[in-house]
Amino acid sequence: MRPPIVAAVVVREWWELVRNRLLLFSVLLPPVILSAVPLISVKLAESAEGPPRIAVAQIVAGHPQWADMTPSQVVMAFLLQQFLMVFLILPGYIPLAIASYSIVGEKQTRSLEAVLATPIRTGEFLAGKAIAAIVPAVVAAWISYLIVLGLTALLLAPRLVPVLVEPAWLGAVFALGPAVGLVSVTAGLLVSSRVNDPRAAQQIGAVILLPIIAMMVVQTAGNFLLDLNAYLLAAAATLAVGIIGLRLGVIVFGRETILTRWK
Amino acid sequence: MGTGSTRQAAMVAAPTPGPMIRAEGLGRRFGDFWAIRGLDFTLARGEVFGLLGPNGAGKTTTVRLLTALIAPSEGRAFVAGFDVSTSPEDARSRIGLLTEAPGLYERLSARQNLEFFGRLHGLTADVRADRIERLLRLFDLWDRRDALAATFSKGMKQKLAIARALLHEPSVLFFDEPTSGLDPEAAFIVREAIATLKATGRTIVLCTHNLDEAERLCDRVAFLRGEILRIDSPARLRTSAGTTTIVVTLADGIAPEILGGLRSQPGVLGIDGTGDEVRISVRDARRDTPPLVRALADAGVDVLGISATQATLESVYFDVMGARPPADGGSS
Repeated sequence: MRPPIVAAVVVREWWELVRNRLLLFSVLLPPVILSAVPLISVKLAESAEGPPRIAVAQIVAGHPQWADMTPSQVVMAFLLQQFLMVFLILPGYIPLAIASYSIVGEKQTRSLEAVLATPIRTGEFLAGKAIAAIVPAVVAAWISYLIVLGLTALLLAPRLVPVLVEPAWLGAVFALGPAVGLVSVTAGLLVSSRVNDPRAAQQIGAVILLPIIAMMVVQTAGNFLLDLNAYLLAAAATLAVGIIGLRLGVIVFGRETILTRWK
Repeated sequence: MGTGSTRQAAMVAAPTPGPMIRAEGLGRRFGDFWAIRGLDFTLARGEVFGLLGPNGAGKTTTVRLLTALIAPSEGRAFVAGFDVSTSPEDARSRIGLLTEAPGLYERLSARQNLEFFGRLHGLTADVRADRIERLLRLFDLWDRRDALAATFSKGMKQKLAIARALLHEPSVLFFDEPTSGLDPEAAFIVREAIATLKATGRTIVLCTHNLDEAERLCDRVAFLRGEILRIDSPARLRTSAGTTTIVVTLADGIAPEILGGLRSQPGVLGIDGTGDEVRISVRDARRDTPPLVRALADAGVDVLGISATQATLESVYFDVMGARPPADGGSS
């Protein structure tokens, strides 16, 4: 793997990304929406009538560290916690959008043959595309997280900030998030090398987001809450799946198939 | 064009003297279908070699085999001394490829397109900047260097794609239909560029449907249809065809029985009569024309004019491919 070659692919992908309004829109809009939704939801909960005492007592029983909060803050903290998964969906969705367009876009413009006629290796080509898709997604997710953190302190209650920096949150946002991004981009690359429409690639690749959404639903239902160790374990497993998937992608991404069958 | 860099030197292995391209029994099969088979030829440094044939004849497959984009099913190929099967990266570092479609990144500027390919070839920033400016100026694109490729005309895109193929100063160039779809002015510029490259000692493989272009640019051509049917210089191919077409313009047409009589004249290879014009293929125009004129006069046919057209690469092509050439002018 030659870093300058990989870097060349990354830079080119980003040049294209900033000029592709539709793709840029689909990369920038979700972080804005998914950052706003938790804050608005929690703000609405704050302005609602006082929560039932029994519910508050049940929540505090599960989170003794929240015992000093007002009933309203307890409810807000509980709601905020449900939105942790948003910061896993972002690094899952954005790379899928970028990677799906990336390969199918090359099919549509027939630009790949000239690239493959250079000394670039398949691994370098795919690594460049993967990095170009993951980095904006992870950065967007982290910036969204920091914005939510700041706005929580400013608009909701400073007492709620510790909820967002609990070890489980940090493990999810900073460890599992990038790993989910890797799996997502791998899925995007694998699927898009087999289809001719970016939307089809995104729809098929979006299957990998289902486990995250399922986790969100189960957590919201209150059945369980993952702790830091669980997130780190999930991150390690996801990372392994991503690396294996990327290696598989290098095998599946047949230069010959692409050149002789892409129309 | 410019100086090399340490990094580039590291990526490009030493050249091997000898023919720039050598194909030995090269073939490629897709399933049970052989797209091309039995390719045997060598190309010298500075030679322009044309691949001619109908769609599906195996021209693009041949180019892809020689550019190490696809692997051969049988045989071997060497480009600049590198085996395309065992050293594909070395081979690719020595070739420049102009694909049938320009295949530019349309959301990138002309300069960014070249910048990207310069990086893939391991050129340093200084070398890249120098060569990009030189090539864009050469192809009259410098003033549009920061315009997106999407805004370019077809001719401009083709010129940019050629600049891309030349950026790393390859010793072997593959041009797949370089003037296809271009207006006459753009096609002229591209042909001039190819002639200039030939003069600088580059070996060029040219796939084209334009037989006139092949005749003007190529030192040798190969007629392909799943295999090489004929390979030689355009001049020798025309000479070896050894036919001349005598075009007789008539006042009132000609009766079928008279045409039949002409067919039996010595030296006549074929006759094609359409209304007031008869095209007669003969081996030797100087020897065979007078008896034909006499035969026409004896039969009472009113002749308005007679001209002779030499065999063209086009007529040779149609003979080799098994089809009659279309009517054309070019009297001598």
